[in-house]
Formats: sequence, structure tokens, C-alpha cells
Amino acid sequence: MQKRHTLYTAMLALAVILLLSACQQADAPATTEPAPTEEVTEAPVMTEEPTEEPTAEVTEEMPEELIFGMVLVGPKNDHGWSQAHFEAGQYVEQNIEGAKMIVFESLNSADKPEATLEGVVSDMVDQGATLIITTSDEFEEDTTTVAGLHPDVTFINASGDDTWDQRQDTTVSPPANLGNVMGRMEYMKAVAGCSAALATETGSVAYLGPLINHETLRLASSAYLGARYCYENYRGEDPDSLTFTVTWIGFWFNIPGVTLDPTEVTNQFFDSGADVVISGIDTTEGIVVASQRAEKGERVFAVPYDYQGACDTAPDICLGVPFFNWGPAYLDIAQSLQDGTWEQSFDWLGPDWPDLTNKDTSHVGWVDGPGLLEEWKTNLDAFISGQADGSINVWTGPINLQDGTEYVAEGAVATDPEIWYLPQLLEGMIGASE
Amino acid sequence: MNDTQIIKILASIIAQSAPLMLAVTGETITERGGVINLSLDGTMLLSAMTGFVVALQSNLMLEGMGITGNMLPVLLGFAAAALVGILAALLIAWGSIRLRQDQVAIGFVLTLLLADMANFLGQNHTRIPGPSVAYMPIPLLKDIPALGPMFFSHNLAIYFAFLVVGLAWWWTYKTQPGLRLRGVGDRPESAFARGIKVNRLRYIYTAIGGALVGIAGATYSLSIKLGWSDNHILGIGWIALAIVIFGGWHPVRGAFGAILYGATKALATVLQQAFPEVPVVLFNSLQWLLMLGVLLLAGSKGLQRLVDIVPRPLQRPLARSLRVAAPQSLGKVFVEE
Repeated sequence: MQKRHTLYTAMLALAVILLLSACQQADAPATTEPAPTEEVTEAPVMTEEPTEEPTAEVTEEMPEELIFGMVLVGPKNDHGWSQAHFEAGQYVEQNIEGAKMIVFESLNSADKPEATLEGVVSDMVDQGATLIITTSDEFEEDTTTVAGLHPDVTFINASGDDTWDQRQDTTVSPPANLGNVMGRMEYMKAVAGCSAALATETGSVAYLGPLINHETLRLASSAYLGARYCYENYRGEDPDSLTFTVTWIGFWFNIPGVTLDPTEVTNQFFDSGADVVISGIDTTEGIVVASQRAEKGERVFAVPYDYQGACDTAPDICLGVPFFNWGPAYLDIAQSLQDGTWEQSFDWLGPDWPDLTNKDTSHVGWVDGPGLLEEWKTNLDAFISGQADGSINVWTGPINLQDGTEYVAEGAVATDPEIWYLPQLLEGMIGASE
Repeated sequence: MNDTQIIKILASIIAQSAPLMLAVTGETITERGGVINLSLDGTMLLSAMTGFVVALQSNLMLEGMGITGNMLPVLLGFAAAALVGILAALLIAWGSIRLRQDQVAIGFVLTLLLADMANFLGQNHTRIPGPSVAYMPIPLLKDIPALGPMFFSHNLAIYFAFLVVGLAWWWTYKTQPGLRLRGVGDRPESAFARGIKVNRLRYIYTAIGGALVGIAGATYSLSIKLGWSDNHILGIGWIALAIVIFGGWHPVRGAFGAILYGATKALATVLQQAFPEVPVVLFNSLQWLLMLGVLLLAGSKGLQRLVDIVPRPLQRPLARSLRVAAPQSLGKVFVEE
């Protein structure tokens, strides 16, 4: 009996040790990422900056260490939204001497129900963070609250609008240490829609949506408007005959038992006749399923999202990727904090049209996928050029909402608030709006 | 939506339900023997990760040796995943049978541990392409109208799941060893009195069930949701455990439950498009409402009323097929002395 008891105790102790070590490693509540040594030469190094300062006193000072926190809604290696932010943090580390990033991954109720933004931020502040970037609209409200609790720390919420002077919700009073940043992904989603319209043979394009909010409505709708434009102008087809279906899974990524499974939804898109799927979620299920279907001999394509390298999952059926490049925006913010010039702002940042993949200048981008045929590429390049020089603006009226209400009058161009706060999907799109 | 599209949707439901069918069958066998393996969620995550990583690495190794083709690496992946399932299951059986500890407690701790281990150990293999089970339609059968695309245009992992369900039913209800399996789960004292080594059988069936759970995990990462990502299939194990109860500890009913679960999820997608004005959250919870409804119905007088409606000759078989009865000694330690 004694022997058995000892054995059991040993087994339990082993299990507890393993559990604790696994939790520590896997969750890594707040780890300081070492600055990568690669690619430093590619980006502008800021070490010369102190010599430009007017006084000798400044040049003699050691560069002040900048510790910044990066709060991610998903894992840093999701090949999607969160990885794009994480790599932007690495970009800041590469370009500011002494900058160190503290990362907190997967802050969401499914993965870490016990964690709160307030707790995560407190830990980061304790570790010396003076800048904290919260990278989801899920954190918008909490970021505004937490920013009020830590007035000496600067907070940036990506994709939020609390600091916009044209914001819809005027009851919010953002504290002075809060800023917002977002990329003008609308342009790139229109490119994604265009590529889908060029590739479809069935005349049916599907959009894998996350949850429903202003951001996701406007991005899905931009893709639709881009698809309509190209279907009509490059394919010579009636845009009203294009089927554009949106299915919302319920969150930014799959949570079994809570969201619809994006794998199943994508399969159903293809089962129902769509031959191109445009992903609006943070992860890669859309392109993975498309590759499975292509292996069965089906003619299908995918447009993944968020992360420049997303086509690598299945290059042959990838038409291209609209992606965010947060690095330049975060670098600007970090530099302005260091030199004391940071001011509260809402930054809705666009692409560097001549060089969409320039990691130092373009806040959003598009990269062609290997699945994009040369004949489609010609038209897609023309569409991109048209958007760049302003001759094409897919947000030009007449545009009606899904319920038939006129939203943008004929000949008028939607204003920024109209695009940002799009209340429904557009007329002609199939899918839920609330 | 035309007929071809409906058939395609049904085929997808069947394919996507296959790994859940395997897990449900594995757990049904385990629980039929009297042991509750509550570690399903963690086991499936760890086996999904292990299956994918072993397949990926062995594929790279074999390619380095000049051997190409996915078949062998994928088989190695499934074997490794089965081994993970067996080890986890045996740990629970050992803790219960040998150490006489609470199976539920051990299983619960184990599922948390294994889930975290899967995420930790798999973090360098997240969202990268790798080998998968090759598409293998069955010649001639695949051309049967409707049934062909639904049942015979899949890959080996899907066919295997159906085969396992059939075998489990036949073994459990049509063979002497199956009778002994049910005996150790229902009345271990009687079985022991007849000379059956109850605990040895429990070890064996727990291991077999664990192997199937492991294979189910790998079926996700090598056939359905290709590759590995953080919490890749988190929650599926709990769903499988619920379906075992829903299925009344019967392999065929369990498989039906798995397909029904898949169908309600597919229905949620269809309904979302058909009724855009209804909040999408409602459709996402359809499967839970359905299961809850059936479980409540199965345990109420309503079921008898339902049986009474059908013609008399059908009443007994229907009542038998709808009866939900757990193995009587489920979760109870048996001391052979």
C-alpha cells in the first residue's frame, strides 16, 4: 500500500511539473523577445539620429531604452493578423537601438478566459513598458479604459476609432495617451475582389467572414465592389450576375463549439458552386481547403489575408494576398515617443502605390500569388494603377445597402466616415448584416 | 441550390464527421469496458500535432533518402498518433485500476496537460504545409448516382472511420469477446465469477479506444484540417464525449450522432445565408440545442409517447434503439479478489 502511495505521489508530482512547465512555455504570459539580427541592413537604422540633435548634451547620452508591449488576439505565428503585428514589433526592434518588445499572445476569451487586458497591461507596465499596442478591435473599449489608469504610458489600439474626430460614438472621451492606427485595407480588398472576379468561371465568389462589425462589413463590401468592377469592365459580364456570398464564422478564428468551423464553411462554399474564396479571417483555413479541393481535381482558387507570406501554404491556387504592414506606423509612433513629439492621433494609413510590398513605406499591400495567370495579372495591374491614380474608385455611387436604402448617390464618392461606418452589407451581396 | 450541390454538401458533412466518428467509437469501446477516458480533448490535440509532425519530418527524411510519396509518412503519422492515444488511455487505466484513483479526476488533469503540451511541442510546426492523406475515390462505386460522391469519393482515412464503426458494432454485439466487453462494463463481478480477467480486459479495451482517439486526432491534421496550429481542434474531444452519451454507448448511434453534429453545423451555414436578418450566433448554437433536446427527450416520458405513435411491430426495435443506458459499472473501480 505504501509503495503504491509513493508511486502515485511521484506520478502526480511529475504531472504537475510537466503541466506547469508546459503552461509556462506555451502561454508565455509576457516574454521579452530578443531582437532578431536578420534583415537589419534592409531597414533604415536610426543610430545617426542623435547627431542631428542641436545640443551636444543629447548626442552624449546613451539611447534611451524603449520597452513596448504588444498584445495579440491570436498566436504570434498564426500566419495572419497577429503574426503581422508581431513582425511589426520586430521591425521596431530592428530600427530603434535598445527597443525591446514584450509580447502577450492569444488574449481572447477562448484561449485565456482568465486573462484580462487590464492584468496584461499591468504586467507590461511593471516590466517597464512605456508604449503598449493592443492589436484588435476586441480590445478597443478596454484599451480606452486601461489608458485612463496608466496616464504615463502611451497606448495604441489598432483598428479602433476612439480618437477619430469624426467618430460615430461621441460619448467616448479618449484619454490623451491613447492613439489609433489602421491600414486602408479597403483598397487591397478591392484588389482581392478583382482578382477573384477575373478568376471565377462559375461566376460565384465566396467571402469567409469573421464576426460582424463596421470593419468587417466594409472590407467584405470593398471586395465585392472590386469584384463587380472587374467582372464588368475586364470580363465584360453583367455585374449583377456575379454571386458574392459572405458567411460569418463568429470570431476572427475558429473556436470549436463556438464559431462555425472555417474549414467546413469553405468546403460548403465550394460545394455550393463558388470557385474562389476570399478570406477575411485571421487564419489560413480558406487556402488550406482550396488546396485540398484542387488536389481532387477541382478548379478552385483562394485569396488569403493579413500576412504577406500566406500564399506559401498552397502557392498554386493562391491568387494573391492583401496584407497589413504595421511596421512603419509602429516605428513612427515609437520614434515620436522617444523624441517627445508624439501626439494623440487617429491614423488611417494607405498603401505606397508604386511599391505595394515596400516594408518601409506601404502600410497595406498586395502581393500577386503564383496562381494568378498572366492574362489576369494584366487586368489586375490596370485595376491597381487605376486605384492609385484615382481614376478608379469602387466606392463611387450609386451604392445601395443590402436592404435597398441608397447609401452613396450616383456619381458621389463615399466619405471616410461612410466607408468606415458602413452599417450593412451592400445590395447584391448574399449574407447576414447583423 | 441544385441536386449536385446538395450531394456535395452531404459528402463534405460525411468526410468532416469521420474523425469525430472515430473518436466517439473509441470512447464508446473504452466506456463499454467500464473506464471513462476524459482526456479526449487533450489526447486528440496531442495526437493531431504528433501525427502531423511525424508525417512532416519523416517525409523530409525519406525525401532526403530519395524516397518520395506521402503514403509511408502519413502512415507513420497515424501510427505515432495512435501511440499517443494508447499511452494517454493506459495512464488513465493504470491510475484507475492499479492506483484506484478517480478516473474523472485523472482524465481531467490529463486533458489540460496534453492540450498545453500539444501547443508547446508543436509551436515550431504551426501553419506550415505538410503531407496529407491522398484522395482516393473507389473505382466504379464512385460513379453510383448520389451515393458514389457521398460515400466513395473520399480518402482512406474516411473509409477507415466507417469500417471501424461497423467493426465495433459487430464486435460488441455479435461476438463472444464483445459480450465479455459489455460484461466487464456492466457487471464486472459476474464476469469475474465466470473467470474473465476484468481488469486485463479493461486495460486492453481502454488502449484500443485510446488508439482510435489518437487516430481521430491525426485524421484531423492529416485529412480534414490539414496541418497544425495552436489549439487546432480544441473542444472537439468534449464534443465527442457528449456524443458518446447522445449515442447511448452504441457505436452506430454514436456515428449517427457525429454525422448529425456535422449536419447541424452545415445547416447553420446554410441558414445564415437564407435568413440574414437572424443573428448568426443563434445558428452557431444549433447543434447544442439539438443535442440537449434529444438528451432530455431520451430521459423523459416523451420518448415513450413517441414510441407509442409508431405501428406496434416497430415499437420494440424503436424503443431499444432510442434507449440511453450507460454501462452500469462505468467509472467504478473493480477489485479482483
